[in-house]
Amino acid sequence: MKINVKVNGKKYERDVRENMTLLRFIREEIGLTGTKEGCGVGECGACTVILNGKTVNSCIVLAVEADGTVIETIEGEAKNGKMSKLQNSFHEHHAVQCGFCTPGMVLSAKTLLKENPKPSEHEIKEALEGNFCRCTGYQQIIEAIQDASGQMKK
Amino acid sequence: MLKEFSYLAPKNKTQLLKLLAEHTGKPGVGKTAKILAGGTDILVNIRNGFDKTDLLIDIKKIGEYSKLDFNKTKGLLIGANVTYIQLINNKNVKKHYPVLIETAGKVGSPQLRNRGTIIGNICTASPAADMSRSLLCLGAEVNIVSIKGSRSMKLKDFFKGVKKTALKAGEIVESITIPIDMADAKYGDEKLKRIKGHDLAQAAVSIVKKDKVLRVAISSCAIVPVLLKDFKSNVSSATVCKEALKSISPIDDIRASKDYRIHMVKTYIKRIMDKI
Repeated sequence: MKINVKVNGKKYERDVRENMTLLRFIREEIGLTGTKEGCGVGECGACTVILNGKTVNSCIVLAVEADGTVIETIEGEAKNGKMSKLQNSFHEHHAVQCGFCTPGMVLSAKTLLKENPKPSEHEIKEALEGNFCRCTGYQQIIEAIQDASGQMKK
Repeated sequence: MLKEFSYLAPKNKTQLLKLLAEHTGKPGVGKTAKILAGGTDILVNIRNGFDKTDLLIDIKKIGEYSKLDFNKTKGLLIGANVTYIQLINNKNVKKHYPVLIETAGKVGSPQLRNRGTIIGNICTASPAADMSRSLLCLGAEVNIVSIKGSRSMKLKDFFKGVKKTALKAGEIVESITIPIDMADAKYGDEKLKRIKGHDLAQAAVSIVKKDKVLRVAISSCAIVPVLLKDFKSNVSSATVCKEALKSISPIDDIRASKDYRIHMVKTYIKRIMDKI
């Protein structure tokens, strides 16, 4: 089936099989491998992308369902080779260890800050409910988001 | 990798009902079709090899199924495409049926709440379904349609067993109606799980109270979510607990023991009734 999507501002038209997930479409058809497959069943959030402004697990969305949508992936964060404020904050706070969960974490955090520019610690934790990290213990990630939202006492 | 299946996305109800009538899954009658709304259950089941569906019918292009309407005499209508996040962000729901928001907020994670639908939660018919508690307490009615006509039933009669519903081949739940009589009720909801976010309930209780009526629903404690008979609003929590224990039949499993579930149901009933 033919689909049209806009990914990180660029239009793509592709013929895809019905059983292809949006995750595989992004990685294999478009070649953007920043989006990861963790569990493959909508639990871990490594495959998080922003679909029409809302975060979704791209492993449990079909590519055909995404026809006509606007998608943001982690590759859309940096502009002209420069990391976004949020990415820099993750870097500075050592919020990355193995890095596998990071693309999803950054996109969940980005969506949170767009809707709620000064989230409390509790609100940050709630926003990350669907993104699992097995390295950092989450504290550095929370601090990175607090700092990116200008709420870090220095 | 998902198994192969066909995919169709009808643009209106007439096309949808025709497709559902053509693909009932009976031998020799079309394909085995299932409805695809949010996909947060069915795509997981397909991926895990539990679901042999060979045609997914996506209903997201059917505009009238996105309705989320409040009316002061008729109550609330929730269409088949309404997601958890749409319900949570709706002003009328916030004002008149906050218990729905309380339970919707306890479903999965933001990613799942952005995608999953209220009616999908009901049609999956898990005994642990979070929306079942609040909807049962509010006296929700399920509106079912097929090419042959439409019918409605109380949600409590819709659940028939673990992941079994009263839906017949060719039918779809197109909306849920919540009557006005329990609007603005006092409420409480408690859910037992290992962690705050993203976990299945081991036992959970919702209670609403308005005027002379108090209603209690319990999930994860029987093969279906359970609605107790209506109580008078001045009932004692001991009476409610006694009645609850007669109606539930929790099991021992990997997530919690039967005794623990019973203990927590009693604790939650007392806790909520003290509050409201």
